[in-house]
Amino acid sequence: MKKLRLSLFACLFFALILPFNAFAGFPIGKYRDIVVPSFNYYSQTDHYDVFGNYVKGAPGARFSSYSFSLFAGYGISRRLDFLVTVPYLYQVNNLGTGNKTIMTQGAGDLVAGLSYNIGNYNYLRYLSVQISGVAPLYTVAANSTSPLGLGDYGAEIKVMFCGALPTFVADKGYFNTEVAYRRYFNFQGPDQISWLGTVGLPISWHNQVSLDITVFRSSSPNKTFNINFNAERDYAFVKPQLNFGHTFSRRFTLFAGGYYVPYGINTGLGYGGALTAILKL
Amino acid sequence: MLLFARFDAQAAVFQQEQQPAETGDIVLKPTPRSENAVFKKNEQIVYDLRVENNTNQYTTGRISYVITTDAGERVAVDSIQLAIKGSSTRDYVVKIAPRTTGFYRVNFIVNSQNYDDTVRKVFGVDPQEIRSQLHKPADFDAFWKQSREQLEKVAPRYRVLERRDLSTDKKRVYAVEMHSFDNIVVRGWLVIPRDGKKFPVHYRVPGYVVSLKPNMDNDDFIAFDLNVRGNGNSKDVINIGTDNYCLVNVEDKNKYVYRGVYMDCIRGLDFLCSHESLGIDTNKIFVEGGSQGGALALITAALDHRVKLLTMQVPLYADIHDNMAISASYDKQVFPFKVFRHYNSIHPGFTWDKFFSTFDYFDPQNFAPMVKCPVLMGIGLLDQFCPPRCSMALFNHISSDKKEYVCVPNSTHEVDMNYFMFQNLWLREKFRIP
Repeated sequence: MKKLRLSLFACLFFALILPFNAFAGFPIGKYRDIVVPSFNYYSQTDHYDVFGNYVKGAPGARFSSYSFSLFAGYGISRRLDFLVTVPYLYQVNNLGTGNKTIMTQGAGDLVAGLSYNIGNYNYLRYLSVQISGVAPLYTVAANSTSPLGLGDYGAEIKVMFCGALPTFVADKGYFNTEVAYRRYFNFQGPDQISWLGTVGLPISWHNQVSLDITVFRSSSPNKTFNINFNAERDYAFVKPQLNFGHTFSRRFTLFAGGYYVPYGINTGLGYGGALTAILKL
Repeated sequence: MLLFARFDAQAAVFQQEQQPAETGDIVLKPTPRSENAVFKKNEQIVYDLRVENNTNQYTTGRISYVITTDAGERVAVDSIQLAIKGSSTRDYVVKIAPRTTGFYRVNFIVNSQNYDDTVRKVFGVDPQEIRSQLHKPADFDAFWKQSREQLEKVAPRYRVLERRDLSTDKKRVYAVEMHSFDNIVVRGWLVIPRDGKKFPVHYRVPGYVVSLKPNMDNDDFIAFDLNVRGNGNSKDVINIGTDNYCLVNVEDKNKYVYRGVYMDCIRGLDFLCSHESLGIDTNKIFVEGGSQGGALALITAALDHRVKLLTMQVPLYADIHDNMAISASYDKQVFPFKVFRHYNSIHPGFTWDKFFSTFDYFDPQNFAPMVKCPVLMGIGLLDQFCPPRCSMALFNHISSDKKEYVCVPNSTHEVDMNYFMFQNLWLREKFRIP
């Protein structure tokens, strides 16, 4: 009976506390909707070179990105979900003291796809696979680049495993792991492999903390460095992110999170924050 | 939050024996290849049979498997040679020819030089195609219409008393009281979450002579648990043990205890619908119960369409005629026919025809065609109180086209954790609860 009760608590927890990646491997539910608007801020002055060495930026130089993205998901069936993300970016690239500042804005890469729940383990843990397409919502002139993205179509496959933490780890809490492979349809690629791990724990009835760790590798024969990671093809980074979530109601949870890039290759060394609302309709 | 019905408070005398723990010199562990031990009509029935030898000795013998219908009629028997080293396991595959629609008992029997044992399992074949005869009296509808009219003449005189001693910082608990059929007072418990203004309702009705307590497990529902007459804190007039509860006035359909009990369930619904001000979302009432509660839940949903969803587990008394026939094949009688047969044996004038002339008005199966709302039912395949065939016959008579069932292969008169996890998701899906 004790085991049963613990499982009940796990289920109870899920219903009240929405995981930060509520739109990850958890099935949305038949005919249900989830909408996740989020605001992200990112700033960097320095970067890592192709060997992973720290390189200090030019005096006064700073790249800042303000992005708003809207994620929406719809449960087509108990196992199949339709997911779409549309980002809008506003970027300020200050090239340094005495140099010009470049400002750009516009929609980024739309990602849309289907997530299928392969199976569940006693309705406590879920294994899902997601297949998505990537489409740029901006145009890039020939032999040019765009700060909004690579300008190429792409495809992604992602495997997700998530659910309640084992009781020997914590009585309450959740985890999410994702492994994704993305390929852009360009002779330069890139091929991108990423891993995301999330652990979330409630700290009170309505509050929770969660930790995300992202390991990301983008591989391309084009090694050109770009201070704007949206526009470069060959780079890697590790990014831990700490989040705090507050559940305002059964339909609305708000997360605030902060992150830093402690290690990277051929990419910026920066920090950022995110404000994410999860709305279950 | 998680809607976990308990019907484990039944008196020990009526508890069906659980499957014994798998111990012994030779242990048989049969696992059906098909999910939930349900096969299709033209499909071979396959079990993976793991044999564990817990002795140190090389053992030989035979493993027999005997297949009977759920009424005990033998339909197939076969055996395989057993030869297993000491302290080892060995896997066999048991293949049984396709069977026609129904439920079948399969007994795996091990006989060695020094040890004999039997493991009992049940499998189903296309249960959704099981059909049964309805024994619905001609004046069935009129009888229940008249019962409703009699109930409506009883002023409910609701009393709602906040129980601060039982309330928590998350939920308020109320003791509820109302007058019901024949002016008998019935009581229940209402638990309302504090963090919200309007909630769907989990209306739970009790198992056989079970005392329902305040249900503190629901965070997204108002929980209303009604103790019908003779159950829990509603024993002012009828206060009788489990041996005789289902026999109270069984010889007169007008006075039979379940007439009042069924009406109590409707009165409970009346209570909910007249107390919207407490935050009750009267458009989102679901009724639930296990065992007797399963029957009561179905009847409530059948008689009153204010119920929007029905979930029931192992509904008692379903298809009572076939239940009687099936129970006749049991080695040892169990509830409910253990009680009915005993009564019959000591009341010579009380023939089975007389029994059915009353009980046909109360067989949940006769109410099933009146159920229009979405339904979820869970059954245990090893259940002898509510044989799977009877539960499925009931289910198949339900006229709602939004109905689902879950078979739990290794359960007796209960379902398992997985069922309740699924039920929780099912309810959220149907009510669009976040």
